[in-house]
Amino acid sequence: MNNADLAIVGAGPTGLSAALVAPRAGLKVWIFDDNALPGGQYFRQLPKQYRKTQKTVYDKEHGRAAELFTAIHHPNVTYLPNATVWENPDPGILAFAAGERSGRIEAKAILIACGASDRPVPFPGWTLPGVVTAGGLQNLVKGARVVPGERAVVAGNGPLLMVVAANLIRAGAEVAAVAEAAPAKARLWRNLPRLLHAPEIVKLAVNYRGLMAKAGAPYRCGETVIEARGGDELEEVVLAPIDTRGHIDRAKARTVACDTLVAGFGLNPSIEMYRLLGCEVTYNSYRGGWMPKRSEDLETSIPGIFAAGDGAGIGGVEFALIEGKLAGTVIARNLGALGERDAAIQAAPLRSRLERFRKFRVGLERVYAPPATWTELMTEDTVVCRCEDVSLGEVREREAQGFTSAFAIKGSTRMSMGRCQGRNCLPTLAALIAARDGVAVEQVDLPRGRPPARLVTIGDLLQEDLPAPVFPADPHLPRGEEVT
Amino acid sequence: MTKQPFDRRIATGLDRGEAFTFSFDGKPVEAYPGESVAAALIAHGRRKFRDTLKREMPRGLYCGMGVCWECIMVIDGRAAVRACMTQAEPGMKVETQHGLGPPATMTGAP
Repeated sequence: MNNADLAIVGAGPTGLSAALVAPRAGLKVWIFDDNALPGGQYFRQLPKQYRKTQKTVYDKEHGRAAELFTAIHHPNVTYLPNATVWENPDPGILAFAAGERSGRIEAKAILIACGASDRPVPFPGWTLPGVVTAGGLQNLVKGARVVPGERAVVAGNGPLLMVVAANLIRAGAEVAAVAEAAPAKARLWRNLPRLLHAPEIVKLAVNYRGLMAKAGAPYRCGETVIEARGGDELEEVVLAPIDTRGHIDRAKARTVACDTLVAGFGLNPSIEMYRLLGCEVTYNSYRGGWMPKRSEDLETSIPGIFAAGDGAGIGGVEFALIEGKLAGTVIARNLGALGERDAAIQAAPLRSRLERFRKFRVGLERVYAPPATWTELMTEDTVVCRCEDVSLGEVREREAQGFTSAFAIKGSTRMSMGRCQGRNCLPTLAALIAARDGVAVEQVDLPRGRPPARLVTIGDLLQEDLPAPVFPADPHLPRGEEVT
Repeated sequence: MTKQPFDRRIATGLDRGEAFTFSFDGKPVEAYPGESVAAALIAHGRRKFRDTLKREMPRGLYCGMGVCWECIMVIDGRAAVRACMTQAEPGMKVETQHGLGPPATMTGAP
């Protein structure tokens, strides 16, 4: 069994920030990440083989990224790329799959820094090749400098739509429409004082809008994608006005021809680790849905297990960087590597910076508050679970037979039992039940989270160096004749 | 001045090194060292990576970060490999995955 003071799950902005702090205080730290290179989504790196020949707009975060990446080289750090943490067999122990290095680790503290992924919002045609998420588009640009098509529609909800549109325009693609579901423009002025708590981010948004205006990419608020159409690939999308309650005016729909649809409906914290570990979760629709309950010190309901960054509630990269450092500081203090006074001195500026971005966040959340529900977008034929190919109609059919709870729908349709382990469909399942029963989403009982939290191969598990299991005496054998 | 043909690979400020080819359903596709199979196929203009078992629906890259498993393909004889998380290699054999993939590919881990 491997041992560490701190096990960090995720080498994105949060995990790396924590790893800048805790090892320097003397903690022995292991970092697990399921990507080949550190950086997570925001600081996703180009392949190491690529050579930059000149500075471009894509390098504006180079300085911060380079500092973060130094974390993995600290002598107190063991960094495991291509590693999937999949089980929590005993308190304080994590099992991970990482090819030949697969194994288990016992850690005095655990920091879950798993980030977020795009909120899945099903609509007719959303499974067509050519429809990608906002995060997926960003990753193609950051990780490969590739854009998926030359005429795109960007639709959904949230500030990421502007970033995506700007990246497409910079790559020379035509952005035929940007449809923001929230009436963001109308809400902007009222919330500007709050937004100006982070003037650097407001400035970025102004730049994106300038780029969009210059390229003639129309940014419409109060409009949503209602359908993607095509044969084997996307050919056109249908957009329609939507009000703040989520009601769609289909009579005013318009069709836009395009080869790419970037659908970004905001982000969901990755909660599978908290579900696996048994941390209590809470629901906040403004910050991405389910997230772990946390103390001021970022500790979850289970002592010794900490949660920070987007995976603990969407806040964006600035939040993630600060919370990561704060988590590293607090954990070092709790484990006795950092004195109370030193820890307080280090934490104070982090907490006040966090407070500033929190005020900004409130403004942002008010501007982009999504429609009350997205369930009106779905038709009977719409796929609600991609892995198991389950349509809304099949769910409705089972409900009519009495399979009404989340668990019963899961068991009878296989929804959420596929390769993504429910990561891409549980929010939909919960939203459907909430809308059906007229209750809040947080009142829906999710099926239990079970290992593996993420898909792993048996081959990986066979690499685990575990002691031989001790079997109880076999009651079916006569005494004294145990098989060895 | 004539308009430059649209290139899905952004060229500015980047030297990708020497291109190589892998095969996609028997036809050559160009890729650069370090590029994922998904990025190379998309740069090549190919978006459909598989069709599904139950409803035989076309699917391709969706989340782009290893979460959704929509971009799975048959790669070097192994089914259900995520194209977005797999680096393209010279001579690699990439195939569209139909349903679960050919029975012979379901042999477990390599």
